[in-house]
Amino acid sequence: MSLLADLMTSDALDPGYTTAARRGEGGNGRTSSRSGAVLVLVTVVAIGLLLATAVAKVRREEPVAERHRQELVAEIESQTRQTDRLQRELVRQRRETARHRAALLAQSAAGQRTQHELSRLAFVAGETPVEGPGIQVTVDDAPERSEQESDDVISGARVLDRDLQELVNSLWAAGADAIAINGQRLTSVTAIRAAGDAILVDYRPVNPPYVVTAIGDPDTMETRFADSRAGRLFRTLESTFGIGFGVRRDEGLKLPGASALTLHYAREVRQR
Amino acid sequence: MIAAIGLAIGVTLGLVLQPDVPLWLQPYLPIAIVAALDALFGAVRATLEGVFNERVFVVSFVANTVVAALIVFLGDQLGVGSQLTTAVVVVLGIRIFSNAAAIRRDLFHA
Repeated sequence: MSLLADLMTSDALDPGYTTAARRGEGGNGRTSSRSGAVLVLVTVVAIGLLLATAVAKVRREEPVAERHRQELVAEIESQTRQTDRLQRELVRQRRETARHRAALLAQSAAGQRTQHELSRLAFVAGETPVEGPGIQVTVDDAPERSEQESDDVISGARVLDRDLQELVNSLWAAGADAIAINGQRLTSVTAIRAAGDAILVDYRPVNPPYVVTAIGDPDTMETRFADSRAGRLFRTLESTFGIGFGVRRDEGLKLPGASALTLHYAREVRQR
Repeated sequence: MIAAIGLAIGVTLGLVLQPDVPLWLQPYLPIAIVAALDALFGAVRATLEGVFNERVFVVSFVANTVVAALIVFLGDQLGVGSQLTTAVVVVLGIRIFSNAAAIRRDLFHA
């Protein structure tokens, strides 16, 4: 305790100064000799160098962290581009395969029947692009608001994967023939799920606003959807959380085909 | 006067050259800075009180830095390096603060 007390109460000036002054060396507040002046200069330069080095070090390390972040962002972007490129390549190759298959099958009567069956199945499975009338439901995250602007609406509410699942299910229930989210066609095995903050449709991220396009009878779909659980849910979300929600009829919707269904484990039951 | 010029030269040198601090020296940088500031404030106060002595100034700076570095080095070997760094910073920080207060009294008589 006395150590701390000593520190607080005693004269903080280095005792060496007073001792030296009492001995009668220097002590006039000025540098007395040439060598002493050089010594002081060197020390003071060293101190300045030390301080500046510390400042420079801190300044330099800041951009390093930022640079790492930028590098990661660039890496993500380049990998996403690569994925997109591969995806396009895949679509192209698939089209090529389908063309070759069609050409081969067209050579025999049995082949033509198979081809007919194949295209019907592909259409039902959602593998081929389709068009027709339907409705388009747009949902979006709530805008970020400043607190003063609106107290009764919660700021920055987000659409969840659950909400999209509910929405899609209600559209199927309302009689949709084909559904796509942001241009991603849904099939019988397409998963809508969340990974972190992102929503994945068929394992590919989709960004808000989420445009859910459904082909079907616009009249019945619109009415049934408005009455459905999802319809009520989104109206509530819109009024309570400021989630964007809009339904629009469209007579000429075009949906892309989904990537081919691959069943890894399920096998056809053999008729005996 | 010499001190102010020297400080300016040192800062300029540091900012222009941007010397790399070796990794093994980095733990000692904070205490070296605090020791340097302590010596600097002590010197300013001694000058104001008319008892400045360059030998005391140089020796106190070098000794302070070395002793502080030694304490932290010892602490690092014993696994309490960061705590001892804090201790050194607190002690020297208090001294800097009271020296600064004394300088203020000398300058403004308040």
